[in-house]
Amino acid sequence: MMSNVMMPLPQPSIETEPFWAAIQERRFVMPKCDACGTVSFPPTVACGNCAKTAFTWTEMSGRGKVYSFVVYHRVYHPAFKDKVPYVVAVVDLEEGPRIISNIVGMPIADVVCDMPVTVAYDEVRDGYLIPKFTRSA
Amino acid sequence: MRDKYAIVGTATSDLGRTGKDSLELLEQAMRRAIDDAGIKVGDIDGIVSRGPDDIYTHHQRVGARLGIDVRFSTSLDNGGASQILAVALACMAIDAGLATTVITGYGRNSWTRTHTDEGNRTQMELVPQDQLPKEFAPEYGYFGAPGTHAFGARRHMFEFGTKREHFGAVAMAFREHALRNPNAVMKKALTMDDYLNARMIAEPYGLYDCSLVSDGAGATIVTSLERAKTLKQHPVVIKGFGTFNNTRGWLVEDHMIRLAAKQSAETAYRMAGLSAADVNTAQIYDCFTGMVIAQLEDYGFCKKGDGGPFVASGALALDGALPTNTSGGQLSEAHVEGMLQIVEAVRQLRHTYPSERQVKDAQVALVSGHGGNTVCHSSLLLGRA
Repeated sequence: MMSNVMMPLPQPSIETEPFWAAIQERRFVMPKCDACGTVSFPPTVACGNCAKTAFTWTEMSGRGKVYSFVVYHRVYHPAFKDKVPYVVAVVDLEEGPRIISNIVGMPIADVVCDMPVTVAYDEVRDGYLIPKFTRSA
Repeated sequence: MRDKYAIVGTATSDLGRTGKDSLELLEQAMRRAIDDAGIKVGDIDGIVSRGPDDIYTHHQRVGARLGIDVRFSTSLDNGGASQILAVALACMAIDAGLATTVITGYGRNSWTRTHTDEGNRTQMELVPQDQLPKEFAPEYGYFGAPGTHAFGARRHMFEFGTKREHFGAVAMAFREHALRNPNAVMKKALTMDDYLNARMIAEPYGLYDCSLVSDGAGATIVTSLERAKTLKQHPVVIKGFGTFNNTRGWLVEDHMIRLAAKQSAETAYRMAGLSAADVNTAQIYDCFTGMVIAQLEDYGFCKKGDGGPFVASGALALDGALPTNTSGGQLSEAHVEGMLQIVEAVRQLRHTYPSERQVKDAQVALVSGHGGNTVCHSSLLLGRA
């Protein structure tokens, strides 16, 4: 059945725009402190570790593990009516930050906390990509 | 500030499906609290309510509805932690000489607001649209408070072996209390089978892990203990309060299983000169079942990770080791973001309930508040004067 409700796209802020722009090129970048190497995401004005303000958007490994996850059964948004059940996870990235994403490409019953995962790019609609995660090989 | 101030009046509004406006509910609760205290509205010279915008109950609107000008008034914005903070701020304002008799309260018409027409019926979020996350949420189908809190429940299960049956024990204990409370929204007994077989919402949370969407309001009146002794009700003294805020966020470190409750509790216990062992009844912010388990651990009623077995032991029952949410809580009485927990603690300490609802010889009650997008916590220790 065709749904006339469109999947929501992220609405980047001025600060996160470089992240989403890189994702469209299948690059997973985050701001890394030039002074101490701490990766801060979402971006902040100064490094959370050393308070210096110079950052470089740097390619991440795309690897992490599942800190926790939830299986959505209730439809909160009409665009997800045909998507339930689906997994929303908190992913601990190797470089430090945690982000919200989906775990895809495996049976939901096999998803567990601390499971190693790797980034995968998934089209929401109209060619727009967002990073999701799959179980690491 | 231990033992200097007291709650002398308290009340709730109508609860459940009222068809009323938030401010109307709050005014009803406040006028009932004023009657309960045996004072006149003109005796109130301070207002602390929950803000900030028009779906909440801004103090300026509250004053207009009560028809009073006051020496001190403001609104708080710490989500479900605001209601205890309002009582704490009332004490501080009186202590600073800014007021003598402060009314606090909060009301919301969550049921009516989401059920008045078909458009509203599909509005699952209670927060205004413009305050919802714009990225790292909607594109992943990450919506609503149940999902956020279920992350914590899942991690708690993973680290400590907590089971869904433990969450079920919380839901069943509070339902049992609600059945003794004629004003509670939920009227039917809940079995473990009912709990386990209910539809899933955001797994591991199912229907009965989630608090109610209900209308309701509550209010308290705070004044000096000295003045309290001249008033109508047996005074309930404020022994201690505390706050802590995991403002770095729910997803940072282990915040979702070790809550701001721990540091907030330590502050409150220190002020009161009390410990968990002195608490006779707890009224815990039960937005979700797992949050009760995590808070009971953080408040020191059992070791971190042992909350599941603790609640499964029957501890939360009226005759248990720690009678908890004795009016039914947000899971079974009504969800007014922690306001009804304060009302219930005061009533238990007055010793005016019929025996089937009264915590026997309750001398100290603990109240907890949690909210502000999961990061804020507040604690209140009350005693029978």
